[in-house]
Amino acid sequence: MIKKLAVAGTAVLALTLSACGGGDTGGTPGEGATGGTLTLSISQDMKSWDLAEAGLGHSEQYYQPVFDPLLRLDQQGEVKENLATSWTYDPALTTLTLKLRTDVKFSDGSALDSTAVKTSLLHAKAGTGESAAKLKSIDDVQAPDPSTAVVKLTAPDPGLLRNFANVPGMIASSTALTAASGPVGSGPYKLDASASTAGTEYVFVGNPDYWNKKDFPFDTIVMKTLDDPTAETNALLAGQVDGASITPDRIPALEGGGLDITKFYSGIVEGLYIWDRAGKITPALADVRVRQALNYAFDTKAIVKVAKKGLGETTTQHFAPDSEAFSADLDKKYGYDPAKAKALLAEAGYAGGFDVVMPDISTLFPEAQAAMVEQLGAVGVRVQLDKIPFSQFMPSLLQGKYALSYFKTGSTDPWNVIQLLVKEKATWNPLGYKDDHALDLVNRISLATGEEQDKLYKELNEYMVDQAWDAPWNFVQDVYASSKRVQVTTQPYSMLPPIYNFKPAS
Amino acid sequence: MVSFLLRRLLAGITLVLLVASATFVMLNFTGADIARNIVGETATPEQAWAKATELGLDEPLALRYIEWLGATLTGDLGKSWFTTVPVGTTLQTALPVTLSIILGALIISALVSVVLGSLAAVRAGWFDKTVQFSAVLADAVPGFLVALALALVIAVNFGWLPATGYVPYQRSVVEWLRSITLPSIALAFGAIAATTLQLRGSMFDVLQRDYVRTLRSRGLTENSIVFKHALRNAAPPALTVLSLQFIGLVGGAVIVEKVFGLRGIGSLATAAAVQGDAPVVLGVVIVMVLLVVAVNLVADLAYGWLNPKVRAE
Repeated sequence: MIKKLAVAGTAVLALTLSACGGGDTGGTPGEGATGGTLTLSISQDMKSWDLAEAGLGHSEQYYQPVFDPLLRLDQQGEVKENLATSWTYDPALTTLTLKLRTDVKFSDGSALDSTAVKTSLLHAKAGTGESAAKLKSIDDVQAPDPSTAVVKLTAPDPGLLRNFANVPGMIASSTALTAASGPVGSGPYKLDASASTAGTEYVFVGNPDYWNKKDFPFDTIVMKTLDDPTAETNALLAGQVDGASITPDRIPALEGGGLDITKFYSGIVEGLYIWDRAGKITPALADVRVRQALNYAFDTKAIVKVAKKGLGETTTQHFAPDSEAFSADLDKKYGYDPAKAKALLAEAGYAGGFDVVMPDISTLFPEAQAAMVEQLGAVGVRVQLDKIPFSQFMPSLLQGKYALSYFKTGSTDPWNVIQLLVKEKATWNPLGYKDDHALDLVNRISLATGEEQDKLYKELNEYMVDQAWDAPWNFVQDVYASSKRVQVTTQPYSMLPPIYNFKPAS
Repeated sequence: MVSFLLRRLLAGITLVLLVASATFVMLNFTGADIARNIVGETATPEQAWAKATELGLDEPLALRYIEWLGATLTGDLGKSWFTTVPVGTTLQTALPVTLSIILGALIISALVSVVLGSLAAVRAGWFDKTVQFSAVLADAVPGFLVALALALVIAVNFGWLPATGYVPYQRSVVEWLRSITLPSIALAFGAIAATTLQLRGSMFDVLQRDYVRTLRSRGLTENSIVFKHALRNAAPPALTVLSLQFIGLVGGAVIVEKVFGLRGIGSLATAAAVQGDAPVVLGVVIVMVLLVVAVNLVADLAYGWLNPKVRAE
């Protein structure tokens, strides 16, 4: 028996050593202008190939090889043609007419026409995924002729075109809507199911019939699900992966390892969120002077420097620099001025400060919490921390349990910000705060287009900053690491660079 | 023997049901908003509620338990709430990963332990002391440190073996071996220490026995005495340790799988538990309990094979 074991052990060793220096199991990265393989790491697994259940954010890259969207965003975030060559709204902005390309086929051979667009969009809209939520304004889709799709909306939706340039605008074959046997789209690649392992690695091979091959120079794309930062860092350093979104603490190791680091903003704003603007829980917060005092209380530059290790851009607003609503002047509205904060509190009748209960976030963001509690305390706002399990953090906020809390959310799309924070029934308006002036502006934004709409967005932004809607600290800086073998360009409205923004380095 | 196997099987099934049922109940008291976690923080409360209804989370706990139990008993483990992939499929993908690295770790552990433990008992003196000291040291070093060091030195710096990923043996046996080598070594590190010390001790005892003296007096070579006769009698206690190690290695695999980016049972269980993906957690629990029952059964059968006295009993 011992002999047998020894022989087996020797064989294992021999096989292992003989393979040393052999091929990379994750696929050889792209080689020059001829394409090769692009291997990307994504920190979370995909949700479903069924577009009705598809996720957004970090999940978006998974869908881009197989499914083509109706529209596409260029590197400045402008909406450009893709499957749809042109688009027009009616004067009421509730009917969107799309003219479709006529030379596109799904990978199962069926034609991508207006009927397919109608079937796919209505199927996706009926789902419960993150992507489906962006299609809820669709009432119906009509197909008057094969190259024309007419999208009827229940109300104007200023975010729809940008959403059509992302996963919500992707079209699946009518023969495989639920993707029970795998995804069938008209995208630049096809899933190689035999080479893929669900939850671990997805391999996409080029679609020979794709209509726009020049934008996709890689022969094969491999997407690895690496949810552990250490494993992802090692994969980048070992050359197994060409690109990954990383946390800032990993920058030194990866830069030292010869990887390119790209910093960008995806519109996430972090800071002190004031949920109770009506003063239901903490009456003091109903007074705008108190909310303004909270803005003056924070030394946001120090917070970014110390707690965020310099990775962030201080701000007073919720609308990202890439968005139509952004106004650089507004960032000068509040500065760090504890004396002014105290004066405003005194003016509002809170010279002695006030007490507030906030959820304890020290397990995840210890530095941010320390800064927040200390600086609020310095102007007289006494914070009592409520120790709750982190699993209870989001549910508690959504139930409207707290008047204030640290939080971060956002989007580069200003309409998404409105949907998230401003509307009376917005997800992140848990106490249902209603501001008639803000809602009137929102309504006017939805009915406007072009420069008029941009002007209204800015007006809403200015109003929210004046009213000290929240006390933002900074735009969160995202970081993307990539190997020297590829060139990558980040893009507004995307948390991860879309696959068409990757090119071989030479 | 048949009656013994049937009793073990019945006990195993009862254990699976008890543990899985307790897990089902506990999962409902985590307080996490599962539907919200699935639809994302930007979804409206209506969308979150629609997802909760779709998953049946609005139904009473008892009703959900009966439905789950009925489906499980017919072999239907359901679908992941987060990826919609059938749990059975997910387990089929994850189980070979974990079993591969555990098997690799056990083989490495058994081989190294037999050599070191036997030599330490036979040679005694400074070699024995060195083996004992090294074993204590190896036991004290945390597994994740070994895994990190191996990944950084062997995979990242030298590029000899892959830093992450698992290749199924059906795709390429060589690549499979390459992908499990570092994780197996990392996992085996602690197991080698315990098994070596156990084998050293029992081998030491066996070598003092009368029949060994008799064998020596009959002129058998030392190698034959040690590896053919003494080891067979010294092995059962080490086998007990090794079978217990198997169960311990499943826990150790959680860390090793994470460091090497392997989607095995350990990392699957961690991810599903953090997310609150109840169908996957329950599937993992059922598989893990079945594994423990199976390993104990195999260990019992192995005792019989190694020691005829046990078979007779």
